[in-house]
Amino acid sequence: MTRFEIRLELALADFVLSVELATDARMLGVFGASGSGKTSVLEALAGWRKDARGRAVIDGRVLFDERGALAIEARGIGYVPQDLLLVPGRSVRRQILFGPRADASSFERVVAILELGALVERDADTLSGGERQRVALARALCSRPELLLFDEPLGALDLPLRRRILPYLVRARDAFQVPAIFVSHDPLEVAALCDRTAVLERGRVVALGATQRVLRERASDLEMLENVVAATVEALEGSIALARLAGGSVVRVPSSGLAVGQAILFALAAEDVLVTTLEPHAISARNRLPARITAVHRDGGFCWLEAELDARAPTAITVALTPAAIDELELAIDKRVHLVFKTSACRVLG
Amino acid sequence: MAPVDPDLTVVLATTLRVAGAAVLLAALPAIALGFVLARASFVGKSVVETLVAVPLVLPPTAIGYLLLRAFAHDGPLGPRVLGVDLDVLFTRRGAVLASAVVAFPLIARAARGAFEGVEPRLELVARTHGLSRGATFATVTLPLARRGLLAALALGFGRALGEFGATVIVAGNVRGETQTLALAIFEDIQLGSNEHALGLVGVTLAIAFALMWSVEWLSRPRKARASR
Repeated sequence: MTRFEIRLELALADFVLSVELATDARMLGVFGASGSGKTSVLEALAGWRKDARGRAVIDGRVLFDERGALAIEARGIGYVPQDLLLVPGRSVRRQILFGPRADASSFERVVAILELGALVERDADTLSGGERQRVALARALCSRPELLLFDEPLGALDLPLRRRILPYLVRARDAFQVPAIFVSHDPLEVAALCDRTAVLERGRVVALGATQRVLRERASDLEMLENVVAATVEALEGSIALARLAGGSVVRVPSSGLAVGQAILFALAAEDVLVTTLEPHAISARNRLPARITAVHRDGGFCWLEAELDARAPTAITVALTPAAIDELELAIDKRVHLVFKTSACRVLG
Repeated sequence: MAPVDPDLTVVLATTLRVAGAAVLLAALPAIALGFVLARASFVGKSVVETLVAVPLVLPPTAIGYLLLRAFAHDGPLGPRVLGVDLDVLFTRRGAVLASAVVAFPLIARAARGAFEGVEPRLELVARTHGLSRGATFATVTLPLARRGLLAALALGFGRALGEFGATVIVAGNVRGETQTLALAIFEDIQLGSNEHALGLVGVTLAIAFALMWSVEWLSRPRKARASR
């Protein structure tokens, strides 16, 4: 866990960015619509905005405060900007080993994790969008970063490609354990990567907390709230893959393009999950998992329920349902239930 | 094979030496100014930009006259004020200086364009990855602006090559010393040596074509160059 303390004032074209947040997170999400000031927050932290005022302390390191600011090159930041900003005319190897902080000893590991081995001698100008994205990520990871900043790194890609690249980000997050801030307007990306999230609206933090809770509270603004779950493919049975969660539960997901042993992420819409208080029998849905309710939220016509699979290494699943269903089933915290969803409701990312 | 005209050899050598030295003299300050204009914001920047552009429209004879006054015996850069004779007037040094002054704004403006063509956020990324300002300039900005800067120098060289008005006033028209192609053509016309003048014009045209071709090639986007 990393302590993020950010107090920031910065005049933008349409409004004054005025951000104040203090939270502990592994990866902090900054979620908001385009033009809400997300990029400016990252640029201020990186030292790219000289007119930024306030105080930023990440894990005890003061990046800037009223007394002064670290020089850009002294901030120890690995930055993946939205437009990637690879240096034209350089090979992938030179892009990744860029600058005096470049860590040649981690090069092979980074290249392996991001599956860039076949590309290292290629001119980066000849790469596809997804490949360039991974190179920019590798460059940031190889720079011995004390803080990683991701500014909508998938924003320039089309949706299918974004979903394919997302698992690489998750893999890099888990392998390198570097404090990070991830900016996005895509709730699914934030849900997949960030344990805590701040919501930005016109330069102000309007919500801050656990990602699933924050996204659920914003769900009326979102098309659909999606759970993003990590799992490992354990077996393939025709069109179905058996994917084991960290806590041991096995989920059936579509097997297209998957291999045994592969680490995957899959998205599951909160509206696609059913809750039953009895063990379900004679039902076509393939996923019937025991769970424990950890939270119930009523908000007018919408209700949300949080349930935990596997006590040992819990996976939280958010379920959308009606107030009548909650009342009829007498759903309450700590009640044991079963979550039911179809294989086809699980969308494998990547 | 026709024998090489000894006059042409001398004039060509003088021209290339003068133009080359003029570019060397102007290059560093012009490129530095181009970088400052491309990257810095400061009070009075538009005045500096205008001052840089003025020599482009000022008659070269006016520039020559100003230099003549400046380096005259009692001028602000003359022997009486400085206490030392810089030996500029009616020498090759004067021809180089006149050509450098005329070439300077072209190099500075083209250099500015070359630096503006380098995405400033790339420099910020470089610094974020630990490079100092100087190292960023040397390893990112300069290599990316390289072709534009070479084009700027080629433009400056071409301008120095064709310089006439300022040179004839500051340095005169001394064969083997300050007489460049432009001055030699003028002298041939004055003397009625039309055939000889035509020959010099042909040589000038060939050099100008080669220079401008290289400027065009260097100014072309990277992908377009690769595909040719």
